[in-house]
Amino acid sequence: MDTNFDETYVLLLLADSNLPTGSFVASSGFESYGTHGFLSLSSTPSASKGRTATVGTVAFVQDSLHTYARSALPFVSDAHRVVDAFKGKPETDHDATIKKLLGLDELYETMTLNHVAKRASKAQGVAILTLYSKGFACSSDISDEDHLSKALTVLIDRLKLMVRGEETHGHLPVCWGILTNALGISLLRAQHLFLFLHARSILSSAVRLNTIGPYSAQQLLLHSVRPLVEEEVSRSKDMCTGTFEDMGYNDAYDRPSTTWPLGEILAVRHDLQHSRIFNS
Amino acid sequence: MPATPSFGIPVGTGHITCDLHSSTVVFSKLSSSYPLKLLSPRVAEHGVAIVYIMSYGGGLVGGDCVQLVVEVGRECKLLLLSQGSTKVFKTRPGDRASTRLRGSSLQQSSLQAVTTQSMEVTIEPDSALFLLPDPVTCFRSASYTQVQTFHLATSASIVLLDWVTSGRRSLGEDWDFLRYYSINEIFVEGRRVARDVLLLDNSTFDTMSCSSPPRDPPLRTLKDRLSPYSCYAMLLLYGPQTHSVVADLQAKYGSISVFKRTAPERFLWSLSPIDDGKGTVIRAAGIETEDVKKWFREALSGLEAVVGIDEYRKAFL
Repeated sequence: MDTNFDETYVLLLLADSNLPTGSFVASSGFESYGTHGFLSLSSTPSASKGRTATVGTVAFVQDSLHTYARSALPFVSDAHRVVDAFKGKPETDHDATIKKLLGLDELYETMTLNHVAKRASKAQGVAILTLYSKGFACSSDISDEDHLSKALTVLIDRLKLMVRGEETHGHLPVCWGILTNALGISLLRAQHLFLFLHARSILSSAVRLNTIGPYSAQQLLLHSVRPLVEEEVSRSKDMCTGTFEDMGYNDAYDRPSTTWPLGEILAVRHDLQHSRIFNS
Repeated sequence: MPATPSFGIPVGTGHITCDLHSSTVVFSKLSSSYPLKLLSPRVAEHGVAIVYIMSYGGGLVGGDCVQLVVEVGRECKLLLLSQGSTKVFKTRPGDRASTRLRGSSLQQSSLQAVTTQSMEVTIEPDSALFLLPDPVTCFRSASYTQVQTFHLATSASIVLLDWVTSGRRSLGEDWDFLRYYSINEIFVEGRRVARDVLLLDNSTFDTMSCSSPPRDPPLRTLKDRLSPYSCYAMLLLYGPQTHSVVADLQAKYGSISVFKRTAPERFLWSLSPIDDGKGTVIRAAGIETEDVKKWFREALSGLEAVVGIDEYRKAFL
């Protein structure tokens, strides 16, 4: 029996929809997808209106997960790995770790050629760091003996200040990798939760846009979306960004890439919608 | 002026070096080897040169590996064009004169031979590169990798178009190739400002569908993801010589207001500033390749003032 209650407990905390990852501002392009008339595209012409919306929503979740797993997940993984290495020697590796994390953040910035997605990613990223320092870090009086969590708190605080001072961007995937590792979540769980939250936030926005009903959203999340998340995690879990290696071999297939150019166009066009309720 | 066939250079490589000599662009190097062919027509406009990048037989087959090095000297304006789309034929394991061994990472990922094109470009101060080829068309089962790297000096400019079609639609092909993988990386004074990586991949679908039972929800093919469009384009603009075209594009983009639609439009485009507004990325998609071409011809017509009217008209034919 799995007795790792600690990790499960933290996972439950992180899945809270009130957290910055909890989808009340971002639709990841779903609102724009609907406005541009793409929801009816995946269904058969004879399908009912409700069925068409459901099929269209699942198609969006699939395509969005497909590209997000390949473009963002490697950054979660690498940030998680960097913090892992930092935990080995927190006394000496502070500056080197910051430098690596900034390198990841900068690469994500230059690979995300979509200002609407960048805006959402930065807003959620800095909120994640703030959540750690204000919410999850141990209070100072009890952490005297725990050098490691102190070192992590110092590291994350410094990053947060650098984001606030606009010295770096603070993108969500990088911040998510840092946060989950600081909280003791394993890499695989962190990856899985990251993609689950992405899918869930799309479904939440679909409910809020009245595209699907709340029961339907839960049903999709339990049955249709579950294998999709698992599949994307298992396909992309070993990918890395390549920043820490020779970028000369930059044509390897296991490096971050965009797989859905249509999604990019529609996400960028979010701001062109005459009326909209989400930020992205 | 055709490129001199050189015997000393490796198969499938090309080299373009140009400099400005009293308002005329002179090529100190313009060489290529099979299956690559470079051709430079005479140009009237001062400080401007055109090179056509072509391949023998009008296409590339599986395993072809083409490498091009381009050096744009100070104050030169170089247009790189093609004549007709770059056709990538079906991958086959066989050999051809231009087939060479490549990096192990590529070899392992597919048993079949990949066609690769790479371009390494340096653009010196006050010069500009206009890379405006026809789109790449990958035929059924083709596998294509393109890696383009651009190193710009601070005052250099670039207009870079990278586009792909869904195949030979007259033969019913619609996103039926195996893989299209394109990397564009732009550095300014050594600092990476953009890394665009597009992977259009059908191979995961092939490997999964034969072993798994019917799924719910069903797998999405490449065609499912990209329909109803059959042409996708990425245009990147950076540097002082692009400013007026970018201003036109921004004005055009800013005037769009989207009302709720029941079906997709025939053509869609988006504009994103990059590197704190110093660069711009346009993405576009169209039901017909011709729609996309027509739109670009019109949208970039401000370049006539930069490279000359007659020279600009040679692009987007």
